[in-house]
Formats: sequence, C-alpha cells, structure tokens
Amino acid sequence: MTEPAMTENSFCRRCLYSIDHPLGLVLDEEGICSGCRIHEEKDRLDWNARWTQLESVVRPYRSRDGRNYDCIVPVTGANDSYYIVHLVKERLKLNPLLVTYNKYFNTELGIRNLANLRIRFDCDILTQNVNPVSVRKITGTTLRQFGSVYWHCLAGQSVFPVQTAVRYRVPLVIWGAHQGLEQVGMFSHEHEVQMTRRYRKDHDLMGVEAGDLPSVFDTLTEEDVWQYRYPDDGSLQAVGVVGIYLGNYVRWDPKTQHELMMSTHQYRTGRFARTFDCYDHVDCFNYMNLHDQLKLYKRGYSKVTDHACREIRHGRLTRDQGLALVRYYEQRPAENLDLFCEWLGVTPSSLAFLMDLHRNPQYWRETAPGRWEFKGWSSASGAAAAPLEDVRSCEFTATGKVDTRERRSYIVIGKGYPT
Amino acid sequence: MLKKRLVGVITVRDGWAVQSFGYRRYLPLGHPEKLAENLDRWGADEILVLCIDRTRRNVGPDFDLLRRLGSLGLSTPLAFGGGIRTVAEAGAIIQSGAERVCIDAALRDAGVVGGISALVGAQAIIGVLPLSFDGAGLQRLDYLSGRSTPLTAADLSLFDRRVVSEALIVDWRHEGMTAAFDFNLIRRFPAPDVPLIAFGGVSEADQLKMLFDDDRVAAVGIGNSLSYREHAVQMLKRQAGGTSIRAARFVSDSR
Amino acid sequence: MKKITVGIVDYGVGNHASVRHTLNELGLRCRTSDDPVVLDGCDVLLLPGVGAFRPAIEALRARALDRYLLDRADRNLPLLGICLGMQLLAQASHEDGFTHGLGLVPGEVVELPAPHWHIGWNTIEQVQVDPLFHESDGQSFYFNHSYAYRGPIEFQICRTNAGEEFASAIRRDRIVGVQFHPEKSQAAGRALLRQLIVGLCDA
Repeated sequence: MTEPAMTENSFCRRCLYSIDHPLGLVLDEEGICSGCRIHEEKDRLDWNARWTQLESVVRPYRSRDGRNYDCIVPVTGANDSYYIVHLVKERLKLNPLLVTYNKYFNTELGIRNLANLRIRFDCDILTQNVNPVSVRKITGTTLRQFGSVYWHCLAGQSVFPVQTAVRYRVPLVIWGAHQGLEQVGMFSHEHEVQMTRRYRKDHDLMGVEAGDLPSVFDTLTEEDVWQYRYPDDGSLQAVGVVGIYLGNYVRWDPKTQHELMMSTHQYRTGRFARTFDCYDHVDCFNYMNLHDQLKLYKRGYSKVTDHACREIRHGRLTRDQGLALVRYYEQRPAENLDLFCEWLGVTPSSLAFLMDLHRNPQYWRETAPGRWEFKGWSSASGAAAAPLEDVRSCEFTATGKVDTRERRSYIVIGKGYPT
Repeated sequence: MLKKRLVGVITVRDGWAVQSFGYRRYLPLGHPEKLAENLDRWGADEILVLCIDRTRRNVGPDFDLLRRLGSLGLSTPLAFGGGIRTVAEAGAIIQSGAERVCIDAALRDAGVVGGISALVGAQAIIGVLPLSFDGAGLQRLDYLSGRSTPLTAADLSLFDRRVVSEALIVDWRHEGMTAAFDFNLIRRFPAPDVPLIAFGGVSEADQLKMLFDDDRVAAVGIGNSLSYREHAVQMLKRQAGGTSIRAARFVSDSR
Repeated sequence: MKKITVGIVDYGVGNHASVRHTLNELGLRCRTSDDPVVLDGCDVLLLPGVGAFRPAIEALRARALDRYLLDRADRNLPLLGICLGMQLLAQASHEDGFTHGLGLVPGEVVELPAPHWHIGWNTIEQVQVDPLFHESDGQSFYFNHSYAYRGPIEFQICRTNAGEEFASAIRRDRIVGVQFHPEKSQAAGRALLRQLIVGLCDA
C-alpha cells in the first residue's frame, strides 16, 4: 500500500520480506515481520497436543457407515500433496476423496507424480477439466487486464474442492498449509483459521472472483466462468462445509516433508532455472517460469524470495545466504514461454509486450527502449550477500526432470498415465 | 422493538485491514473493502471501520478508503472513524456514504464535537472510550500518549448531554484475546443511560449472550475473530440466540 | 413487462451508491440527476436525504426541484422518499426552528422524545392494509434519525416502536415515504424496495 521508495526499514531484519508484500506484512518495534513472529510458534507450540486437537476436529466427520468419503483433499502433482495425503490417509486414517484441477500447463513429471499419488496411497480421485476454449479466453483476459496467467489455476484449485464438498455432501475439506499464515503470519497457528471465501477472493484471486470477470472484461461471458463460482452461503451451510489446514496442527516444514515423501512414496522432483527449490511446482511448466517472471515484474520479487525466507526461518539459510540465492536466481530467464505462446495463440513478441505493460514502475525503470533497470526488493534489501559457495546447508535433490527435452508439451489429462 | 446489533469491526493500519492485539501488536488481514463486502454478505448488523494510525500521523480521515467503500454499494450501515479533526471532516464522511462517525482523540475537544453534533446529529456520532478496570475504578486510555487516567464526569459530559449518542467501550487490554472482555467496563460504567457498544476480547457466543442481556449494551463489536471462520457472523447469531438481535441469514444464489 | 427506470433526485446531498447498487441488483434501470428532462424520463422518482432538514429543502429549492416535484405529484406520478427524503415530503419540520417542507403529505416532522435519536434495526408494523408493505410487515429495517413524522393517521401505513411509537412509513396516493434506509437493510430492504417501486409503477 505504500508508494515511497524502499529503504532498509521496509524490510524484515530476519527474513527478506518487505512491507510491500501483496498479502500484507507488518513489522514490529524490533523490525521483525509478522511472518517470522508466527514462525516462532513452530518452535514453541506443543505439536503433540496440537495433533490431538486435530484428531478431535476431524472425529465428527468420520463416516459412520463407511459408505461415503470422510473428507475432500485437494491435490496436485506437486507441492505438499503427498504429505497431506499421507497425514490424512495413513496417520489420521480418514477415507479421502482426492480432487484435482487440470491446470493445462502440466509437465510429464507432474502427471506421473499425480498418478503415483493415487496409486501409492490407493485413493479415489476426481479431476475437473474446464473446456480449453473458456480457459484460454479467461487466461488471455487476465493476462491483458491484470498481468496474470495463473488466475484460472488459482480459481479452479481453490473452488473445485469446495464445489465437490457441496455436490457430494462431504463437508470436510482438508488443505495443507495456509499461505497467508506461512508467508506473512496472517494468523497464529492457535487461531486454527479455516477456509473462507473472503481469503480466496482477497488473496488467492487478487480481488477478482469469477462473477467479476464478465462485467469488467466484455469478451468473457457467464458461460466461460460459471465453473469457477464459489458455492453460495446457503449451499455451504446446508452441507456444513468446513475447510481446515493441517499446518495449524502439524509443524509444517515443506523441505523435510518432501524429502520424506521422496524416500517413502517415490515423489519425484526436478530442477528449475529461477529457484534453488526442486520440490514445489514441478507439475507446472509456467508457475516457476512465466508466472514467476510476471511476479517479478509486478511485485518486485519472485518465488525464490519466498523459498529463501522459508529456509531462513527454518534455520537452514542465513539472511545473507538467502539474499545471495535470490540475487543469483531471480533474473534468470523464464523457460517454456514458447509452449505458452503456442497454447494461448500469441506470438512471443506480443507476449513480451503484454508482460512489459505490467512492469511496476516502482521496481522497473526503462532506461532505453527495451532495456530495463531493476529496482526491486533484492536491490534495496541492504544486507551484503554471502558468497554462493557457502550455501551447502540448504541442498535440494532433483530425482527427475521438470522439462524432459524429448517430450516438451503440455500433457493432456484424461489420457491417463502408464504405471 | 429496537434490536441489538452485532457489529463487524475492521481495524485499518497503513491502509491494510489488520488484527489488533492489545493496541500493540498487529497481524495483516487484507484489503478493508474485501472484509467489508464479506461482512455485508454475512449480514452483520453494522460495519465499523476504524483507521487507527491517522491521528498519530495527523493526516485526517482516509477519504480514499471511504470512497472505495462507498463504491461497493454495501447494503449494511457503515460507521467510519480515524483521524477526524474538524466539523467539516465529519460532515464530509456522512455525505460520502457512512451513516456514522467514530471519534476518539477529538472527543476531548468539546467544541469540535458540539459542532459535529449540530451538523450531523448526535445519532451519527459514536464516541470511542478505550477503558480498563484497575480494581478500584475505570481508567480511560489516551492512546496517543499511552497513559491511562481515571474516567471522570468530564469525560462523560458529552454523552450525558446527548451531544454524542453511543459510547464504544474498548477493552484495549484484552483486545485480540479469546473470550477475555472485562464485564466490569460495562457494569461499572458510571452513566447508566448511555447506550454502549462493547468491543475488545469478545469472540464467543456466550459472551455475546451475556452482553446482549445487559440493558446498557446496545451493540457488541467483534474484530479479529470474525476472520477465522466462514460464516462467523451467522454462527455467532445462531449460538447467541434470542430475539434481541436479527436472525442469521445465509444468502442463496449470491452475486 | 416494460423495464422500470428509477430516477434518483440528486440535489447535492448524500451519497447514492448504495441505492444505485440495490436498484441495479434488482434489475432496475437507474438515473441520478437534478435535471427535470432526465427525471421526466423516469417512471418513479426516489428522493434520498441525509443530514439536516433546512439545508436539504434549500438545496432542492435552489435547483427548482421543489416545484418540479410538486408538479409531478399533481400529475399523479410516483415518488418515494427515504429517511430525510420522507421528512421533506411533510408540510414542515421543527428541526432547528421551523422550516416548510414540500407539503406533499399532511403532517409535520418533530423531534423524537428523549434520548432524541433512534439508531439500529427495528421492526415496522402495518397499521393500514397496503399491498406495498404487506410482505414486509414485522420485518426489521435500519433506522438512524432524531426526528420523525407526526400527522393524520390516514397517511400512516406502518409504525415502529422506539420506546414511543412513530410513523415509519407514510403514503398519500402515489407518494410514499419510509423513515428507515431500505438500501442499508440488506435482504429485507432489497425486497421492500422492489415491492415499492414495482407496486408504485403499477398503482
């Protein structure tokens, strides 16, 4: 919300976040941010007690006759899905219906991980495929109007599980970590915050719900967007839908969790150009590339900063090391833009043009036609960066490839995957 | 008969809606307009937006925010406060779509408050009193200096003379805590005819019920905890029960 | 059925976003103006109002809208007054001295008894059978005022109890006034507004 230039005082002294964070970030009198303060709870709370609390929260939802699912679990071929299903099925002994939204930008690795997920854990899964014409129209519009290629993914991933809960009359939806809590300390773990429509609209969807799209952007019609509409309050209340976050009850540590799932359940990972983390987002050609590039243009920082802050807070990186990693990775060229252009039906130069329109002048200055000077977060963070050789403490292992040169194309879901 | 009100309180700091804890600690929530729109859909009886950093920065009320809230076309009554210094500022707020103004720091200036009352009417003014109970009597906090002094008859004069209609009693010590509102602030409030809005550390239905049962309480404000659950307003209304407040409503086929 | 156009009389007082939003949600066309030519094109006029009586009536007079509204009333065209807008329909108000109103509904506006305000949600009770208000009988609406209409019972459709009773809705032929804010009364307000506008156009 603040316009003036960033100074050292705009930043947390412990991690690399600034008060310009799009979710909102508060610095306290010691210059420590709300995200770091809430992270301190991870080393202070009694996690055994919290697990017991989780068991009592889910108890009323266990199906009495075994004839319906106990819960809905949203999954993808990446992120924390394996660990979430492990906790739900193997630790809580619930019977989940997995749901996944086809984001179109699927890598082979992601498809493989998703197939392996449902097979290894022996779960039922529902996939939502919205028709490609609507998805392309929506994506073209959201890219033009607010510089996002990911709106449809975020909208679909966040609403399909809720719609499924209503349609199947399975009230409990179980998510992993709450992004607001993990990144900016939006809530204490002890608040046991639940899923709300308000959070989804305000943060996941950048203020734009499905119902807002046709009125602002004339090319879209109700036919293109109705699938992304949140169920109304009456429907939610009739079923008693509630969404909980395992991260409120389990000491959430994605790196450690992923490594566990890699060794016990064959979750496969891959390397990216724009970050050191190999575990998140391996299912998507665009999240760590085109989407991440746009984030840098609009927000002045990119996902590698989120990864660095997370590892700093977990004590596996110092702030200096984190900053060194950020500066190393955040200007790397995004990959696979050609695939996106082919899919959307735009030329690379028109994509570049559209992207440039969304460069935030607070972070970018055009010094000559087509030449941009970056004045983003990492340029104002202040701390002297550590040499890159020092960051052995935070190693991520790639056991697969995000981008297999032999088969570089979006994988169409529905064809299935050979086990 | 007049119903009691469940008021959704939105605390705004540096343009962000935040959770506030004891007037000291803050956690981010999001955009105030998104919270207001959500409270409107949930059927809160009133929305109270308090911009807590405006007076300290001496920048006057946040008219930009008020304009954005106004453009939402909310169908819920809105009270707006923070940074009000002059009669003109208060008048402009009422003309911009808020039903009522909230005054804290300026409450100490009887001349200004009198002028506002003459312009917009006592019904459009809520006087904010951050109070604490020290075992002997009630103390009023001056949030700018951080000092508390005993609540005096002079403090209550504007209310007694009906220049200001309602008092927002803020249990600032317990703000942000679960089920911690100190009922002494109501029980020991020296002016029995002044309608009170209780706020600060109210989160549970049984507190709500107890407060609504008290004749002095016209409304109860809830802040932070409304953001922790879906349908928080409706759930509290259902559980607090009774006919003293409007029934909970779940919108069907929302826009 | 022909689409109804509602004209919001804009006399420089108050903010009309909530009213417009509610009308749009109801699928009604809406024009906000002080120009008689624009307002002539509307099927029903809505007279809003916030603040004090005298500045409001003077603002109407300054734009010659008082004569325009009287003229429309003579032609039996519908008019809905909300809150202060309802009070303006009366013959006079005793707020801050004595001020003449539009005189469209016999009666005067007087101060509420102590504590001299009425704030919050309260129910309206029909005292006369009227199809416009029938569905809303007993529902709660949002009030925020310190003065109220007092006049012949024949013009009172609904009354409300705020310690003492007063008229919360008045009507004379196709002139209707409501003391509460239907545009700030959520679902109940939306439903009543629809009923009033459609009903007045049909009446």
